[in-house]
Amino acid sequence: MRPFIQFESVSKAFGSVTVVNALDLAIEKGEFVSLLGPSGSGKTTILMMLAGFERPTQGAIYLDGKRIDHLPPYRRQMGVVFQNYALFPHMTVAENVAFPLEMQRVPRAEIARRVERALDMVKLKPLKDRRPSQLSGGQQQRIALTRALVFEPSVILMDEPLGALDKQLREHMQLEIRELHKRLGLTIVFVTHDQSEALTMSDRIAVFNAGRIEQIDNPQVIYDTPRTRFVAEFIGETNLIEAKIASVDNQVARLSLGAGLSARAHAAGGLSAGQTASFSLRPERIRLGMAPEGSNALDMTITDCIYHGDHMRVQLARDDFSLVARCERLAGHWTVGAPVVASFDPRDCTVLAQ
Amino acid sequence: MKSGVLRDRSGALLLVLPVIVFLAVFFLWPLWTMVTAAFVDDAVSKVLPRTASSIVSWDGQGVPSQATRKALVQDLSAASEEQALGEAVRRLNSAASGFRTLLGRTIPAVKAAPDPAQVDLAAVDPRWNDTRFWVALKEAMPPYTDRNILAALDLKRDASGIIVAEAADVSAHRLIMLRTLMVAAMVTVACAVIGFPYAMLAASLTGWKRSVLLLAVVLPLWTSLLVRTAAWFILLQNEGLINRALQAIGLIDSPLPLIFNRLGVVIAMTHVLLPFMVLPIYSVILGIPRNLMSAAQSMGAGPIRAFWRVLLPLSLPGLLSGSLLVFMVAIGYYITPALLGGANDQMISSVIAFYATGTANWGLAGALGLILLVVTTVLYAIYGRFSTSQQVPGA
Amino acid sequence: MFRALQATFGIAVVVFLLMPIFAILPLAFTSSVFLNYPIPAYSMRWMHELTTAEVWRTSILNSLIIGSGATVLATVLGTLASLGMRRGALPMAGLLRTMFLLPMVVPAVVLGVGMQIFLVRLGLASTYLGVIIAHAVLCIPFVIVSVSAALQGIDPTIERAASSLGARPVTVFRRVTLPLAIPGVVSGAIFAFATSLDEVVLTLFVAGPNQRTLARQMFSSIRENISPTVAAAALLLIVGTLCLGGLGALLRWRQGRKTAAAAA
Repeated sequence: MRPFIQFESVSKAFGSVTVVNALDLAIEKGEFVSLLGPSGSGKTTILMMLAGFERPTQGAIYLDGKRIDHLPPYRRQMGVVFQNYALFPHMTVAENVAFPLEMQRVPRAEIARRVERALDMVKLKPLKDRRPSQLSGGQQQRIALTRALVFEPSVILMDEPLGALDKQLREHMQLEIRELHKRLGLTIVFVTHDQSEALTMSDRIAVFNAGRIEQIDNPQVIYDTPRTRFVAEFIGETNLIEAKIASVDNQVARLSLGAGLSARAHAAGGLSAGQTASFSLRPERIRLGMAPEGSNALDMTITDCIYHGDHMRVQLARDDFSLVARCERLAGHWTVGAPVVASFDPRDCTVLAQ
Repeated sequence: MKSGVLRDRSGALLLVLPVIVFLAVFFLWPLWTMVTAAFVDDAVSKVLPRTASSIVSWDGQGVPSQATRKALVQDLSAASEEQALGEAVRRLNSAASGFRTLLGRTIPAVKAAPDPAQVDLAAVDPRWNDTRFWVALKEAMPPYTDRNILAALDLKRDASGIIVAEAADVSAHRLIMLRTLMVAAMVTVACAVIGFPYAMLAASLTGWKRSVLLLAVVLPLWTSLLVRTAAWFILLQNEGLINRALQAIGLIDSPLPLIFNRLGVVIAMTHVLLPFMVLPIYSVILGIPRNLMSAAQSMGAGPIRAFWRVLLPLSLPGLLSGSLLVFMVAIGYYITPALLGGANDQMISSVIAFYATGTANWGLAGALGLILLVVTTVLYAIYGRFSTSQQVPGA
Repeated sequence: MFRALQATFGIAVVVFLLMPIFAILPLAFTSSVFLNYPIPAYSMRWMHELTTAEVWRTSILNSLIIGSGATVLATVLGTLASLGMRRGALPMAGLLRTMFLLPMVVPAVVLGVGMQIFLVRLGLASTYLGVIIAHAVLCIPFVIVSVSAALQGIDPTIERAASSLGARPVTVFRRVTLPLAIPGVVSGAIFAFATSLDEVVLTLFVAGPNQRTLARQMFSSIRENISPTVAAAALLLIVGTLCLGGLGALLRWRQGRKTAAAAA
């Protein structure tokens, strides 16, 4: 039994430039999967191949067990929400929403009923006779979403649909889309370059870099145990620590950090003494205090302290080894130049693939 | 993927093909026809093919051999197409006057003879003993000629085939070309002097004032050229509005000569072509960020220096492409000089039209047309390189 | 001081640009036989002359016939070409574009000479078809410029959206691309008609006495025996152009309504 959507070693090249490289990806029915990555990482190309606007150079794409990569877009039954909404400027809101139903030759009376119902659902019924140009960005976004949903496609594809909205509206729409996903049991593939958007909305996130998936997992795993340096740096903020491994004992590695410091880290298999490796340590996992706590405690000096409203970013250093810690605003009063002890759990210091 | 590209390409080609064919047949081919008309000279050799091949061996002394004379008689008796024969006669007569009457006598005699082979040309008309006619006949035989293009440049070949200048009183093509360039240059300068500050003014204004200024430019563009030319006729004539107004305020006593002279042509052409100058400059100036001038002033440049060092250099491309456009259109102008100019203000287009429709001298019309076409094409290529926008403003 | 200078200059140029157009119109209603001011009395005699005199009447009719023919021909060919060039799938697209715009650049007299010789050979000289073809050559660039601009303004993702919503390529074209391009096609057609209406030089070369157009008739009238009929014809041309512009706006508006009604 194949997964609902499956990419099987799909590659895409434009001329001599390979944009997607031997991609395997499986998405289950009802899942909300985000494709996250910087621009040019190939995520939009993957979405466009799924929608049928681009053809893979190699490989196959399956939907519900059937191969679809040779089908034209209009035969794929996927609702696409485009970055700039792509509403038909010469049609009214109602006509835009009716369009996919007309294409399916739904009887006229039923079209009218379904358009009404769909517009009611997004609370835009009063605007049904307006042209898209007379709507606000948020309203256009909702119409684009409604238009993609109204013909009950098997999959909804969204290409940075919230990119053009301001922050507040964007957060509101994130919740609305999530809510729709749950209520209607939709399968959604969502392209974004905004990591916080991906973290809040998705069941799983696929992090893309240079045409490959660096890591695909649920948001918590992606954030807490990034597998590669790229993922660790792209999602959230992190301390990247290059360290020499002094010893490995019972899944705990002893690291020598330089400047005479050493620490313990959780070691997955494959690490051995004498080797150099990269580790990721999230700033909010570092606790600052006057006395050592737990198994890792580094004596350092505060070099800078930046106020961020809801938290503080504290820069620590000892000789050429430095860390960034993020702590509660009220957690203490830190003065630049004062000594401090930085503590963290070995499990929060995760090793990264080279 | 590959087949998709091919499908797109052949689909696109299918859509573009009708225009390509249409323009190739009804645009490029006529132009080519005109160019060949300047160089092809087969009116005579087409009608007299045997003579053509026979007379080649004649050395130009005395009278050609018996065989050549026989060939001519044969050709003349075989010539059946009235029109082609007429063209050949006209061509020969223009090379040696008298040829028309000579052939007018010879052809009926040849046709009437029971056996054309027995006809003795010298007996039909003694002028066949004159070397002059045979030389003209021989020189009319090569199917291609540079005669027209030389004539277009006031040059000709003398008896020995060397290129020499035509006598000054015979032909004045160079003078007319020079005049064409002069008029076009005057119009271009006038358009630039008026159009540049006008475009700057329009770009610096806002609201209804800008709208009025732009409307004043666009409205004439939408008005028929003939309407505008007729309107200038009304304004410029001796009893016209301008002369009357000047007389009324006592500036002049008798009407100024404004029409049927250079001044009238330049005024009307400036009016017609001013939009082509204003619009490119305006669009370039509009594209210059406003804060550049503020920045220059913040760095201590006064308004004049800021203009000189910032705005002027940045708007120069607009001025350049506007000037090229105006000059290019102006050198091909026909209607305005024809209606508002005097005999000494006719430009090259009028001369071409005169040769083509007046005297049916296609060769010379074609040669002059070729020169105008080449100059225009070169200017257009330069314009294409300099102009920032892809579109040629509509006329 | 500087501002006053600016204002004077601006007003002077506006007057220079507009004065001729406004100067000629009242003369359409002069009672005098001279195309000149002052107007002794207002009369309809020249309008009457324009609509009844044989030469003028047939020339107006000819202009309409030839203008319509050239407009249809140029609009169809130019629109097809613009659609074909749209996606950039063609090789040597730049060269093609240059060739399509060239008729706008080549001096009319040059094209006229070539056209005259060529059409004589084809047997199309002094025929309506010949004049229509000659005018269409001049009109095609305007249609291409106008339609291409309209097509360029269409966001390609809109067509993708239609396709993803289940519309086949033909439907996408009919329901989305064409309605959005129609304003460009209409204004291209209007440009084409106006170009044909105003064409004199090519007409001088290729038309016979039977195809004498209004512009051609005005040309010879100004040249040979100028009379206020020219002003009446000018008025007709200006009003005609205005009507054409209005018609274009109306069509665009109606088209918008119609696609709206069809979709509902």
